[in-house]
Amino acid sequence: MATMQNSLTAVLERNAILTGEFATEPYEVAWAREARWFIRILDLRGTETHLEAKTQISPDGLRWCDLDESKISLREPGLTSRPVREFGGWLRLKGVVSGGGKATKDGAGAKVMIYLVLKS
Amino acid sequence: MTSANPGADASRPARPGVAQWSDPNLSRFNPLQRILVFDAFESGTHGWVELLGNYDGNANLDTLDDHMHDFRPPQLSSCQFFDVGTHGAMSGTYALKIATRPEAGHTAVAIRRLTMAARGRVQFETYFTYKAEAASEENQAGLQAGATTWDGNIHPSEGQFGALTVATDIDDGVRYHCVVRYLNTDMQNQMRRQWVYPGVPEPTSRERVAGKVKLPRRADFTAPNPEDWHPFGKPQEFCYNEVPTKVNWHYLRWLIDTRTRSNVELQVNDQLYDMRDVPVPTYDEPYGSLHNLLNFYVSVRTHSNVRNFVFLDSILISVDW
Repeated sequence: MATMQNSLTAVLERNAILTGEFATEPYEVAWAREARWFIRILDLRGTETHLEAKTQISPDGLRWCDLDESKISLREPGLTSRPVREFGGWLRLKGVVSGGGKATKDGAGAKVMIYLVLKS
Repeated sequence: MTSANPGADASRPARPGVAQWSDPNLSRFNPLQRILVFDAFESGTHGWVELLGNYDGNANLDTLDDHMHDFRPPQLSSCQFFDVGTHGAMSGTYALKIATRPEAGHTAVAIRRLTMAARGRVQFETYFTYKAEAASEENQAGLQAGATTWDGNIHPSEGQFGALTVATDIDDGVRYHCVVRYLNTDMQNQMRRQWVYPGVPEPTSRERVAGKVKLPRRADFTAPNPEDWHPFGKPQEFCYNEVPTKVNWHYLRWLIDTRTRSNVELQVNDQLYDMRDVPVPTYDEPYGSLHNLLNFYVSVRTHSNVRNFVFLDSILISVDW
């Protein structure tokens, strides 16, 4: 009997307001062959606020390096997705939220949902 | 309150028999007559999912309780560590990992949602292990609260594991929680190694919406006031196995009775606790939408700024109905 393949969607950030440098919590993905980020920006706070992030990988969940040179750069609310390939045993998203214009009272911030969708 | 059950012997549970001996995956368990679920995490999450609070009719997640919006998604873990690579699970490669953030007071919770087809005995069994995160340049765990001096035997990280909890949410017209917690350390990071239970029911979203309760983000959602937790039985020493990267699987068997809304007994390895006199907190007011609710959750709470992990190899829930 054929075995159904596995899939798992993890919500790594839920209506979280990211400011400055951020990294999602380490997530184990050794079982998965496919991975895909979905980043939903619900709101951007501040002036000319933008979120930039890279996929990071790790051999142990403790020490991280960039997967490659590709960068996610977001300047508007909405949903964005990126596939991830050949990632080993761990994934996280590391980035920064910054503003280019006049500082506001609360500074630059991005309210986000971050999903990691995995398939075997 | 350690067991005085006549004939009770933790090393020889009272229910041998049936066909489980022919199945190596089941032979390590001691199920009641009907197996309701058998969750071997080698094959997926089996319905164990992050616990989340309740939200409004507009699906606005900002309306979640502050202390119930970030219990972290469970992970299918190969128990991978910096020193040895893949440790693997007790059976196969993968276990279910429940992981906190590295923030003192943060709790991670995975829940399994069922309902009851009848009343009677319900038994939860699992093989589990528990760890605090190993130190790194980034997490600076070695400098965080709870770390003790390394003497070559007891590792500083053992005092940085807070608590693990196995609990239920049950509603038969009356809503109640049977709860057991292993308090490895208290909030002052002192070793306790004590089984405890809460004397009050868990605060609910309805109580928050009604303005009766408002808890901060890192509140202990099961029972926020440490004074509401009470010990039962004698302290129990687990097998942390010296360092944060060696995992030894522990057997846990917990029996409750939904006919009497009561605890019955808890077995963890060779320790058996008679729980028949351990109170079960109930809600004074009825809840809607929960008829025959039978939820189990496993949580882990860190008492230091260090990630805490509970790994579950497999879970078996059986009933006598």
